[in-house]
Amino acid sequence: MGDGSRTDGARGYAHVMTKPPTTPSAPPSSAPVPTAEPPAAPEPPVALRLRGLVKRFGETLAVDSLDLDIPAGSMFGVVGPNGAGKTTTLSMATGLLAPDAGQVHVYGVDLWREPAKAKPLLGVLPDGLRVFDRLTGAELISYAGLLRGMPRDVIAERRDDLLTALDLHAASKTLVADFSAGMSKKITLACALVHAPRLLVLDEPFEAVDPVSAGVIRRILAEFVAQGGTVVLSSHVMALVERMCDHVAVIGAGRVLATGSLDDVRAGAELEERFFDLLGARGPEAGLAWLRPS
Amino acid sequence: MVATVVRLRLLLLRNMMSREIWRVILFGLGALWAVSMLPAVLGGARWLSGQETTVQSSSLVVVGAVLLVGWFVLPVLMFGADETVTPRKFATLGLDPRRLAPALVVAASMSIPAVFTGFVCLASVIVWRGYGLATTVVALAAALAAFATCVLAARVSTALATRLLSSRRARELAGVAAVVAVIAVVPLLIGLGSLGLEGTLERVPRVAAVLSYTPFGAAWGAPAAAAQGAWSAAIGQLLLAWGFVGLGLLVWTRQVDRLLVDPPSTVGASRRRADAFLGAGSGPTTTAHATLAVARRSLRYWLGDPRYLASLASTLLMPLLIALLLSVVGLEAVSGGVLLAPLVAGAVGWGRHNDTAFDGTAFWMHVSAGLPGIADRAGRVLALAAWALPLVVGLAVGGAWLADRWDLLGASLGLALGLFGAGLGVAMVSSVLLPYPAPRAGESPFSTETGAVGASLVAQLLSTAVTGVLAVPVTVLFWLTVTRSPGLAGVTLAVGLLGGAVVLAAGIVLGGRLLDARGAQLLARLH
Repeated sequence: MGDGSRTDGARGYAHVMTKPPTTPSAPPSSAPVPTAEPPAAPEPPVALRLRGLVKRFGETLAVDSLDLDIPAGSMFGVVGPNGAGKTTTLSMATGLLAPDAGQVHVYGVDLWREPAKAKPLLGVLPDGLRVFDRLTGAELISYAGLLRGMPRDVIAERRDDLLTALDLHAASKTLVADFSAGMSKKITLACALVHAPRLLVLDEPFEAVDPVSAGVIRRILAEFVAQGGTVVLSSHVMALVERMCDHVAVIGAGRVLATGSLDDVRAGAELEERFFDLLGARGPEAGLAWLRPS
Repeated sequence: MVATVVRLRLLLLRNMMSREIWRVILFGLGALWAVSMLPAVLGGARWLSGQETTVQSSSLVVVGAVLLVGWFVLPVLMFGADETVTPRKFATLGLDPRRLAPALVVAASMSIPAVFTGFVCLASVIVWRGYGLATTVVALAAALAAFATCVLAARVSTALATRLLSSRRARELAGVAAVVAVIAVVPLLIGLGSLGLEGTLERVPRVAAVLSYTPFGAAWGAPAAAAQGAWSAAIGQLLLAWGFVGLGLLVWTRQVDRLLVDPPSTVGASRRRADAFLGAGSGPTTTAHATLAVARRSLRYWLGDPRYLASLASTLLMPLLIALLLSVVGLEAVSGGVLLAPLVAGAVGWGRHNDTAFDGTAFWMHVSAGLPGIADRAGRVLALAAWALPLVVGLAVGGAWLADRWDLLGASLGLALGLFGAGLGVAMVSSVLLPYPAPRAGESPFSTETGAVGASLVAQLLSTAVTGVLAVPVTVLFWLTVTRSPGLAGVTLAVGLLGGAVVLAAGIVLGGRLLDARGAQLLARLH
């Protein structure tokens, strides 16, 4: 039963995805718009355009005039070592951290100039930020939907779909404070999905998530991309990025070291090898000679 | 062990000071205050040594009891102002609690308040000097016991509070404690008010006699008994005093033992409830719905998050103490009762001047959703008003009844509402502009972020000053009503109600606009 219902849920969810974003961007839509397909306007080919992003923390230059284009309809992987500026970049790209300089365009809308127009297009899963954990799982999704001004019946339907799809139904009445790390990740992902955004930006979405849930999430994201959505995700796990993504960017020291389609970037080699090349990989030279069981 | 922990404590203190200039300034001010108080303490002790034995004994016992109550209560309410060396930080080292516990006590006594308390305890020996060598020796031994009791009391009460408030029953217990505290103040007010200042003083010797056999007064009663030649009582009380120290150390050791292996867990049996947020209905939701969602979420935190209760308790402490003091001193007309509601209302409203910081990084949900700032602000105000307004009105009526000044009810209520609106309106702006670190959700409500003293001082001083200025009209009217013509009570009520509402609305709008413009900057400061 578990597997079947999960697939159903995922499919049901993807169906919801085909609706245009029901968000307050447009003057409160008079009806839930169940039938009208989005006007097939020529979509800009770039879903997320970052230009000259700079962020300084005191003496440290975390992001160093970074440029990046993320094509619409791609599954885009962002990789880089610890402290490369991945989270800082993604935070600035999603309106959670004000850049010192540079622009962010989401489907052609300047995020930092017109946040009210751009934010409805975005679904965000930040890394290392808390959620309101005195709410139950179900309440948190409802809360996210209400904050975005969605109709209540739509929220209710999607909330139940999301809880089923992400296998959180059993925990839907439990306070998020009592969730495990992986469950918190999943409920936050559900909050990012509830308004059916066009662009999903997920920082480390698979961290602490069990293999079964990771599989479900991968399937949901793949269907989302198949329906025309765009996904940006960051990860430390090269194999996962290689398996999931069609485009990648390697970030190091606050700059883009390489970007393009997966095949272009890895240029015939393993992504991991290219990663070491680009970063001028250092092997384990300084070993801990004394580290052996005494 | 003692030396190591003390060195660690001093090192942490030094590093903390080098991180923030404000801490050095505060430390300097604290030290200056303590030093400037020394002559007063010495003078008091000299003066007291010239008094009758009964006066000496009862005043010292009362001083000692107040001192101990302070050490028991204040560290809890001051949000763990000094939590650099706590037992839990030693958990991974596998230490023997019987050696660690005393070391922690010694380390904790390396603070200005502790050193000052030690000085006060020793100064009491001056009083008993004139009664001969034996009495002086008893006084010295008792002074040391008194000091040890104070330092231990702070440790025990902090550990106890941490344990209680992080448990699943925290909400109920803290709620009950708050209610009990408020209820306890009322009969005290009535009792002391009916006795008057002299009547109260008359009772002191009898109270002191009883206190001398409790942890609060044993160490202070012993030399007094010795001075009066009651040697069996003196020895008994001295033994009792040191017995209490031993008992305290035993309790503290057990607490350390437990904290090392079984830290208080915030995760109890999982709590289940149905979705109370969505409600039924279809059609597009508006900013009003989002506002209500924020209000409901805030209210959930008020009811279930120990951090909110702890901050509320420390905010309410001051007004209750002031009301108590005023009613004891018995100012004409303005007895504590009439001021109770205004003081509480002002404290509760102003108390939210750091409201956003209590969301912590969870505030990203509002930023990411593009929630209009005005909805964010209004939601928080609604949640607070939902419980605070009935409380304030109740206190105003209760206060008028206590003081038996029904003619002043309108003035009392007017000042209360004016202060509430002004304080909360200012808070809605200052919590956007001047956030300072608050304990994180799920953390001990008594933990403080190091390196935040300057920010919190600035935010508190500024929000207090602005609130005070904005509340000048209603305060003046209140004062005129009380001192000149009670007929102005209606005007005071109207001005308080309208003025409070206007300032509050302005605070919501201005805070909301600022939030729209600086949401991301604010989020970056909530980490």
